[in-house]
This record gives sequence, structure tokens and C-alpha cells, in this order.
Amino acid sequence: MSDGAVVTRPTTDERLTPTSWVTRLLRRPAVSAGIAALVIFVFFSVTTQSFASSAGIATWLESAATIGIMAVPVGLLMTAGEFDLSAGVMVGFSGLVTGVLTTHYGVNVWLSMALSAVACLAVGVLNGMLVTRTRLPSFIVTLGTFFVLQGVNLALLKAIIGQVSIQGMNRVPGFRDVQWLLASRTSIFGMQVQASVWWWVAVVALGTWVLTRTRYGNWIYAVGGAFESAREVGVPVKRTKVALFTATAGCGWLVGQISLFRFGTAQSSSGIGLELIFIICAVVGGCVMTGGVGSAIGPALGALIYGMANLGIVYAGWDNNWLKAFLGVMLLLAVLLNNYIRERAEGLR
Amino acid sequence: MTTPLIEARSLGKRYGNVVALSDVSTRVDAGAVTCILGDNGAGKSTLIKILAGAQSHDDGDLLVDGEPVRLERPKDALDRGIATVYQNLAVVPMMPVWRNFFLGSELTTGRGPLRRLAVKDMRAITRSDLASMGIDLRDVDQPIGTLSGGERQCVAIARAVHFGAKVLILDEPTAALGVKQSGVVLRYIAAARDRGLGVVFITHNPHHASLVGDRFLVLRRGRSIADRIKGDITPAELTALMAGGSELDDLSHELGATSL
Amino acid sequence: MRPQARRLSVLGVVIAFAVALLSACSLPDDTTPSLAAPAQPRDVGNLTFAVITHASAGDEFWDRVQSGARQAGSDYGVTVQYSSSPDPGQQSLLVDQAVASHVDGLVVSLANPDGLETSVRAAVAAGIPVVTINSGLDVWKKFGAITHIGQSESIAGKAAGERLKAEGATNAICVIHEAGNVGLEQRCAAAAQGMGGRMRNVQVDVTNPTAVASTIKASLQHDPTIDAVLTLQGAVAVQAVQAAREAYSRATIATFDLSTDVLKDIIAGRISFAIDQQPYVQGYLGITALYLHAINGNDIGGGEPIYSGPSFVTKDNAQQVLQYAARGTR
Repeated sequence: MSDGAVVTRPTTDERLTPTSWVTRLLRRPAVSAGIAALVIFVFFSVTTQSFASSAGIATWLESAATIGIMAVPVGLLMTAGEFDLSAGVMVGFSGLVTGVLTTHYGVNVWLSMALSAVACLAVGVLNGMLVTRTRLPSFIVTLGTFFVLQGVNLALLKAIIGQVSIQGMNRVPGFRDVQWLLASRTSIFGMQVQASVWWWVAVVALGTWVLTRTRYGNWIYAVGGAFESAREVGVPVKRTKVALFTATAGCGWLVGQISLFRFGTAQSSSGIGLELIFIICAVVGGCVMTGGVGSAIGPALGALIYGMANLGIVYAGWDNNWLKAFLGVMLLLAVLLNNYIRERAEGLR
Repeated sequence: MTTPLIEARSLGKRYGNVVALSDVSTRVDAGAVTCILGDNGAGKSTLIKILAGAQSHDDGDLLVDGEPVRLERPKDALDRGIATVYQNLAVVPMMPVWRNFFLGSELTTGRGPLRRLAVKDMRAITRSDLASMGIDLRDVDQPIGTLSGGERQCVAIARAVHFGAKVLILDEPTAALGVKQSGVVLRYIAAARDRGLGVVFITHNPHHASLVGDRFLVLRRGRSIADRIKGDITPAELTALMAGGSELDDLSHELGATSL
Repeated sequence: MRPQARRLSVLGVVIAFAVALLSACSLPDDTTPSLAAPAQPRDVGNLTFAVITHASAGDEFWDRVQSGARQAGSDYGVTVQYSSSPDPGQQSLLVDQAVASHVDGLVVSLANPDGLETSVRAAVAAGIPVVTINSGLDVWKKFGAITHIGQSESIAGKAAGERLKAEGATNAICVIHEAGNVGLEQRCAAAAQGMGGRMRNVQVDVTNPTAVASTIKASLQHDPTIDAVLTLQGAVAVQAVQAAREAYSRATIATFDLSTDVLKDIIAGRISFAIDQQPYVQGYLGITALYLHAINGNDIGGGEPIYSGPSFVTKDNAQQVLQYAARGTR
């Protein structure tokens, strides 16, 4: 049986040369995003006064946090080969449900949050079921739910409360309690860090744990990398995807609640357009759009880049109309880099 | 004669009014290789899908360890020790070798929410199992897509063997390989057989089949045209049966190959 | 409460137009003697008016415009079709569609006049009376509209700037929440002019509340000497209040447009004042102008635009305005 070694050994040795530590490092999808984040941090720290100040850091961390909480599940979903275009508007939906229940119907604030969670998760499950049952591209299915939710947000809100934004949220009984949990500030090294940042860290930690250290994480890579193969070896492919869509909706719920209790209002237009920002963050963070490659830390770094760029431009006193152009350039660079890495990782094809 | 691991009795499968398989009988014994031969569209894939549990049969009986069964999903087959290595090898190219090796049957430690992958164990087992089959990978973390076709085939076989397969179904494992690599794979088929596994070897290359086969099932247009044991049939006869005497181009090509 | 208020507002409008008509003195088109039937000078059958704006879905301001238009529709017994698109191309298609379906009148906002010129001119050429609202002050006459109902961005902006100056502002930021809206840029420019000091524009994306707040916060941190923040939308103002508090800034906050929370903040002294261009009026008067034109051949405005604002809301009158705001009409 050991005869096989005669054939395989030489080819293995040949391949060992390029597997240097640099290649190994670059094989980690998040590394390029980490380098980019560092460059951007250093750049704005040097060129502006307040960017690296404690108040400045706390501000751009918060800006990154709410995007980052969503970018993580969106990144995992992308790793599993799927998109969720309803992720942005889900944020608005979540806040509006809680807002309407509390301000209009006077429902207890905790119960409202729970009901809102149920509604969001139900939409997530629906997304997942539709995608796995029909085998339609998730791009189309979630584009559908995106429009449905957008319409529901606007029409239902208008029909119920006669306005298009939640008003008077901060006079709801229990508002302060929830605010303490979701939108309070903690002082660390003189930084007033928003609670959303801790939630973000928690989501990244959980995402990383699941992806690298559980069977479920293995399955995420597998369904995205080779769907049929995963199915053939007994991976519950449908369940894996449905769970991911549900997790995305769950994070959308979290961000919606954070935003609602942070600012005391939610508009029917809240979150529209953010789905693309989440996707950009995931791609910049090294997730490959066709699936199979990704991480949880990568999209988080992508969100960090977004947050730093978003506010760095303000701190630098530049015209922040350039933000979108900057994001576009980052996206293109990230895709080119990912493509290059993938070609190397897949061998000399 | 002992109870066969798998026995097919007059199996049939229809897709609507198209008969994909009809009245096919054969058996798979422990420590023996059953070769399934046939040209494209002969019904080979339908038969292995039934054996692997990807589809269930419409007519006839399927016996596993002498017990009539109906395999509804791949997991049913896996639970009965029937492992299938498809042409795509069921590997995920971008994933490390060790993750591929344990995909779908991961080892875990801890319990409850702390239940996690036993990464160290899985790496070690992957390395030693592959080494025992003669593949020496120093880096089991390299994506499996960077291995050669033969190596990947062997990883897939080693995986099936590791997970206690009693029956190994190999779907055209030599189809895309060169002569040398095919030789390597055929050796592993022999090795698996020698370990006491029943092997189902699907191929359209009668030459490869006759090198390792103990029993030959030849399919044509969804029907069994021969089910013979080794010694009952010569490579030339096999070829002739497959080509059916009509498709002369194929015939001459295959004859050329056998006379090598 | 509602029907009564409705009647009151109808009365108000009638009085307003009586004044407008009187001030216009001559009534060239009104050849019908005053002996005509008092209620319906002309039997016009079932009228349908289209209101086509550049609003993006879910915008509070435009929601009030729509409410005003619909209220006018039900008050006069005419059908009001409301549609909107922030994309000028899309909006002009909506206009074309309305023309094709032979509506009896068109109320249209001209946020991007060049993009709509062809369609609006086509409507006028087809004999459909057009009233422009909100945006389009410079072009309505050229396009052949009956009149324009809105706020002069320069008058309102300038007034806001002067008021900020009176409150001692010297270094301000003007927060633009919608990229590419000429009207918003004009407001900021006029406010800068009125204030006289330094005023810088800051662009934010209104669909991401966190980004709005943190961008304002970062601006205040970047330059602690900023002593005034002017926002152009109610929801942005509420976030500016929070941003200023977190940045330990004492900047005066003022805003265009209202919401319940803005009014509460005005009452509490956190927002200094709000400039209300009274969107409800724009919708209501838009339909009113078309209605009068249809039933009586009136052209109101006397060749001049009709200003729907600005109306300042400060601590003094906020409580009263709050009642109307709560039901979505102010």
C-alpha cells in the first residue's frame, strides 16, 4: 500500500516551497483587511488632531459598531454562498416594530422587543426557507423581501400611527433600562465607549467561535465552497443556510434595537441602502462573493475601515461627499486582492 | 456463500414515463470488488444513486446485510456503512485537507454550548490515516484543491475507510486521471478490498475493471446485459458487451486500449 | 376634533384666497358674473389631480405634503393621485404617465428642474394646468405653470442665518441629509450669507442614524469652536442634539422642518428654533390652486409665487404647534 508514496511524495515536496509563512498568513482572508485598517488608522492619526484622541476613537468605533454587528452575519452568509439584501431594511423594521408597539399600543418595552425579535427571526427563517426550498438565487429572494419590508415599514407605519417616524420613544416606561443595556456608555481609558461596541465585539467573538471551532462553522464553509459535496457527505445544507439567514435577521434586530434606544427614534426609511454597505464590509474583509472563503473578524475589520473612513474624512475637514468614492475604491482593491489570494490558494491553475 | 453486503433484486427506477433502470440484479460481497460498467446513459449513475441513498428505487428489492431496505437519503446509506465517493469527490476545494476529511462527521469535545471541534485530534488523525495509505502531507492545513487529482481521490477513499465504511462506492474514480494516477487509485481499490470492504467500482473502462474486479455488471439502456463473476468473462468480452457491437468507433478505440 | 379643524382650515384657505384675489385687483379670466350659482360656478364632473413629487419613500416632510393634498382632495371632492420618486428621470416618467391618463391638473415639485423640463412643458402643451410646489421657484413661470407654492430657499435660509447670528453664532455647520438636492444646498448657502460668519456644509446619509449622529459629533470634535448646528430635517436635528451633548459642545441647534420630537426639544430648550415651511400648506394649496382653476378659471398668485413659509417655531409657540404635529399635519 505504501507504493503510493512513490508517486505522491515528489509532488508534495515541490509544493512545500511556496507554502512560506507569508503565504500562510495571506491565506487568512482577514489579513489584508487588517493591514488596510492599520494603514487608514495611522494615516488619519497622523494627519488630523482629533482622530486618535479618546473622544475621536470612541466616535468612529461607534460608527463602525452598528455596521460591524451586521457585517459579521452577512459575511458568514456570504461564506455560505448566499446574500441577504433585506439585511439593511431589517434594521429599520426591527426598530419600527418595537417603536410602534411601545409608543402606539403601550405594550411593555421588553415584551415589545421580544415580539420584534420574533417578527425579525420569522422573516429570516422565511428568507432561508425560500432560498433553500426554491433554490432560487438568494439575491432575487432577498431582493423581494427587501422591497416587501420597505413597503411594510412605510405603509403599515403610516396606517397605524399616521406618521413616518417613531416619536416620543424616550418617554416610554422602561426606556432607560433598555438604554442602559443597548446604548449606554462606559468610560475606558478616558474613552466614552458605546454599548454597541461591546455588542459588536461579542458578535465577532461568537462568529469566530462558531466558524472556526464548531461543526456548524465547518458546514458554513462547506455549503459555500461546494454545495453538492457538502450534501453528499451528510452536511445538513438547508438547515445550515436557514440558520444563517435567521442569524442575520437576529443581528438586524439587535442593531435596530440599539439604534432605536440610542436615538429614541426610527424612521420608515431607516436602514435602506445599508445592505450594500454590509456586503462591501464583508468583501473588504476577505469574504468571497461566490462563497467558501470568509471569516467573522474580516467583515468586522471591513466595518472598522468603513467607520474610520467615514469619520476620518470629517476629522480631516475634507468634503465627506467623497466617502462613497472611497468605499468604492476599497471594494475594488479588496476584490482584486481576494481574487489573487484565491488563485494562489487553489494552486497553479 | 455468505450473506452479501448489498444485494439488488430486479431493481427499477422511473422518472415519469422514462424508465431509467429496469430489472437489474447484482451483489456486493465483503472483500470483493463489484464493477459496474456501461456507456454513458446506461443507467450507472441511477444505480449508484439508489445504492447511495440519493434516490430510492421504484421496483424490486434492495437488501443490505440480507435485510430489505429503502434508502431515502444519503444519511440512510451512510448509517448502514455504505460510503460513496462521487466524481466530484465530495470535497470542498478551498477547505483545508483535515476539515474536508472530517466534513459532516466532525469530532467534537465538550458539551452544551461549549461543544467544539477537536481540532488537534482531527489534524493528527488525518495525517496518520493518509500516511497509512501512503500519502505524506506535511501540511494538512493546505486547501485540498492544491492536491493532485489522484491524491484527492485517495483522501476521499481514506475518509470513507476511516469512517467505517463496509461498502465503498466509487463513481468513475479513474475517469479524469492519467495512466499513472489511475494506477495509484486502482491500488487503493485493491487495498480497500484486502481490508475486507465491499467495493462498488463504477467505470466505463473495461481494462481498469478487469484489473481489480471480482464481479462485473454490465448495463445498457437501463438494463442488465451481464452479471458475471471473474473468470466467467474476458476483458474482450466485457468490451464487446459494453459497445454492443454497434458503435464501431468506440469499439475500435476500446479494443486499442485493451490490447496495450 | 378633526372635522372641525378641517372646516377651520378650509375657511382659512378661502380667506387667504379672497385676500389674494383682491390684492390681484383685476380678474381678467373671471368673466362669469357674480350672479352664478354660489357653490359650483361650473359643473366640472369628477376631477382628478396628480401630485408628483421628488420625495423618497418614508420622508416625513413629504408625508405632510401628501396629507395636505389628500385633505384638500376630500374637502373639494376631487380625486388626488399621489406618486413620487427621488430620481428625476423616474419622476418625469410619472409626469408623462399622468399626462397620458388625461388628469385634470398636475402638482409637481421641481427639485431637479432640468430633468423635468420636457415633461412639464409637455403637460402644459397638452392643456393640463400645472402648479409647482416646494422646489422650482426660479423656473415655474418659464415652464408655464399657473403658480408656485413653496418657500423661497433663499428667503428661508437667510432668515435662519440671521436668527442664528442674533443668537451669537459665528462658526456653524450646515448638515445636508440628501446628496444632490439643489434646494438643500441653496438653504445652506443662504443661511451662511444671512449669518455672515463661517459656515461649512456636512453631508450625512439619513438612512443610517448612527452615521448621522457620529458624523455631526466628529465635526464638533474636530472643531470645538463651532457654536451652531443648522440641520435641514427634523430627525437629523434630534440626533444633532444628542451628538452635541456627547461631544460636550454648547452649540446652538436650529433646524428646518418639524417633528414631534423636535417640538419637544424646542420646548425643553435643546433646540433653539425650527423653520417650518409648512409642507401641509404646499400640498393643500397645490390642489386648491388647481381646483379654483378648474371650477372658476382662477389663476391665483397674480403671476407671483405663493410663499408657504417660513414660519418660525420657538419656545413661545411650540406647545401649540405640537398638537398639529402629533397628528401629522405640521
